[in-house]
Amino acid sequence: MKYLPLFLLTSERPALVAGAGRVARRKAEFVLRAGQRVRMVAPGPFPAALHWARARGMLEYRQGNVEEADLEGVGLVFAATDDREVNARLARWARQRGLHVNVADRPEEGTFIVPSVLDRDPVLVAVSTGGTSPVLARRLRARLESLIPSAYGRLARLLDAYRERARARIPDEAARRRFWEALIDGPVSELVFAGQEARARLEIETALERAQGARPEGEVYLVGAGPGDPDLLTFRALRLMQQADVVVYDRLVSKPILEMTRQDAELYYVGKQKDDHAVPQEGINQMLVDLARQGKRVLRLKGGDPFVFGRGGEEIETLAEHGIPFQVVPGITAASGCAAYAGIPLTHRDYAQSCIFVTGHLKDGSLDLNWEALVQPRQTVVFYMGLTGIGVISERLIAHGMSPDMPAALVEQGTTPNQRVLIGTVATLPEIVHRAEVRAPTLTIVGEVVRLHEKLEWYQAEEHRPGTVFSSH
Amino acid sequence: MQRQATGKVFLVGAGPGDPGLLTMRARERIEQADVVVYDRLVGEAILELIPQGTTRIAAGKACGKHSMRQEEINELLVSLAFRGRRVVRLKGGDPFVFGRGSEEALYLRRHGIPFEVVPGVTAALACTAYAGIPLTHRGLSRAVHLVTGHFRDDQPLRIDWQRLADPEATLVIYMGLGNLETLARGLIDAGLPAETPAAAIERGTTLDQQVVRAPLEQLPARVQAALLRPPVLVVIGRTVAFSERLDWFVPEAPPEAWQDEIGAHTAR
Repeated sequence: MKYLPLFLLTSERPALVAGAGRVARRKAEFVLRAGQRVRMVAPGPFPAALHWARARGMLEYRQGNVEEADLEGVGLVFAATDDREVNARLARWARQRGLHVNVADRPEEGTFIVPSVLDRDPVLVAVSTGGTSPVLARRLRARLESLIPSAYGRLARLLDAYRERARARIPDEAARRRFWEALIDGPVSELVFAGQEARARLEIETALERAQGARPEGEVYLVGAGPGDPDLLTFRALRLMQQADVVVYDRLVSKPILEMTRQDAELYYVGKQKDDHAVPQEGINQMLVDLARQGKRVLRLKGGDPFVFGRGGEEIETLAEHGIPFQVVPGITAASGCAAYAGIPLTHRDYAQSCIFVTGHLKDGSLDLNWEALVQPRQTVVFYMGLTGIGVISERLIAHGMSPDMPAALVEQGTTPNQRVLIGTVATLPEIVHRAEVRAPTLTIVGEVVRLHEKLEWYQAEEHRPGTVFSSH
Repeated sequence: MQRQATGKVFLVGAGPGDPGLLTMRARERIEQADVVVYDRLVGEAILELIPQGTTRIAAGKACGKHSMRQEEINELLVSLAFRGRRVVRLKGGDPFVFGRGSEEALYLRRHGIPFEVVPGVTAALACTAYAGIPLTHRGLSRAVHLVTGHFRDDQPLRIDWQRLADPEATLVIYMGLGNLETLARGLIDAGLPAETPAAAIERGTTLDQQVVRAPLEQLPARVQAALLRPPVLVVIGRTVAFSERLDWFVPEAPPEAWQDEIGAHTAR
């Protein structure tokens, strides 16, 4: 991030706006709307559009060229004349005095930029694209506009009125946060939005009366984070991610997804990398129990889906034994995500009427799989975590009668901007992995459906790492 | 006259029914669409997310009414895209798992229409998660096998029972209600123990979720007694035994009850 997002307290010291053109007037209005005074300096006559502000004593105007003396006593500077030289000089003076300055159309010459603002006073949403595209920022703001109705301001004021009483009634911070969450997610918001503030107040009063001061029970959310693309998170997953006090995650959860968890949540990495058992499974199970016993809401975040090779069953089994409440949120499993983004359907009326998911994770150098079942025709076989065992997979499938020419695909970092799709046959898989230096996480898809990739490919990975076709001959 | 730019078709998986299981990408595509062409399996709660002013076209069959044939749906998508529309083709579950999404995508590609595939949470994963059934589990199940129990045009079932009767895999059958008796018998005859834990889940993940659990041999009779109706997902395998202990999903009280509660407060 190049910019530090902050909200400044409005100050007694006015903001200096140099210029009186369209841009300067917009900056002045921006400052005035927040309730801060403006000193405007420009060579031309006073812009009539700002007459209202002058009449209220919020704006003083000096006709003339902007001088260093105009900076006397101001708190913030906007260089918004149509003369680049003048703006640059003013910015220099401001910086020398340690004042923050914004330079119109030249963000790099100033020290701050102005966001696009959605104003639901006291709720403010500021959007910035870091100066890259003001138009995009305004578009985003417009989308937020429809998402955040104007009643949010009323809701914030209403909740504020009860803050002191809630603090007295529910001294425990975690408990208090849950109290507010329950109110905001529940009927109170709806009532305020429907204009029924009296009923909303009654609702809060009742909730306060019922509130228990004690720390509430802990809970565990076993959540599938999907295959990698953060947009493939489900809404339920997202809601729980923003609610949890603690996040316990492993290697397959991508960084952009982790960043979507609540900002002040504690994070615990429990590994699960090959050969890096940061915390053994029993340790994870116990950790979830312990954290929940402390009254925490624990998010157990797993790549893909928690019940497909995720050992989620073992974790909740332990929770159930200890009587700890939990919920399970399925995610897009890697097979679905990679299939969609690689253009390889898992089923197709002509090629595959069923689909099998297995793990290719080696145990003591071998794979304990029902090979008979895997080599049957008209089905798709998906291997999770099959890279280290790829030699065994290839050899065993062929030994059990699968044609060496059976199409196969490797999807590396599927659904992410680094996705790479490598197409070959069941016989060439080990060679591809070796030659193309394929790395985990990679999903292997074996079956006639792989032929469709050529026709159904649509996703363009950002990084230019085009997939390669390795034919067997 | 200027030629209209070609639109785009988004093959979007709507997930199993709970709107909370919609992905962010799916929701975004629905909000930006000009037209949404949806299937019968897409739940009402999800259809409510389609903005007003967006054209909706029902492609699936609604009890008794005529439903569009696959060819008609393909044609419809192409003609809408040629008219420059952004079309969301909304399907229950995942478009690439028994969703015939691949046929639609191939047809679009043949006509040079750009498309995108948005995966959804497929019923096998969602319904089992909400019923407390892990699909894999150390020492119990090392594979997940997804099959459909219903074939096109009511053709007779042609199933290789031997391959499905694997006691160390979890078998998930989509649309398995109609042929449940045949399925259970076939699996047992092929060697799957009659007492293998099994479950049938109606309307999984929704407020109307119903789970019937029984040993495989008894499942068809129990399902019949419980009057289950489609959509039903059948799960067979040792991990199903967890279901009773790990059952956590309690459908939340419907909104009417909630309304009553508010009414009660104000009456005081």
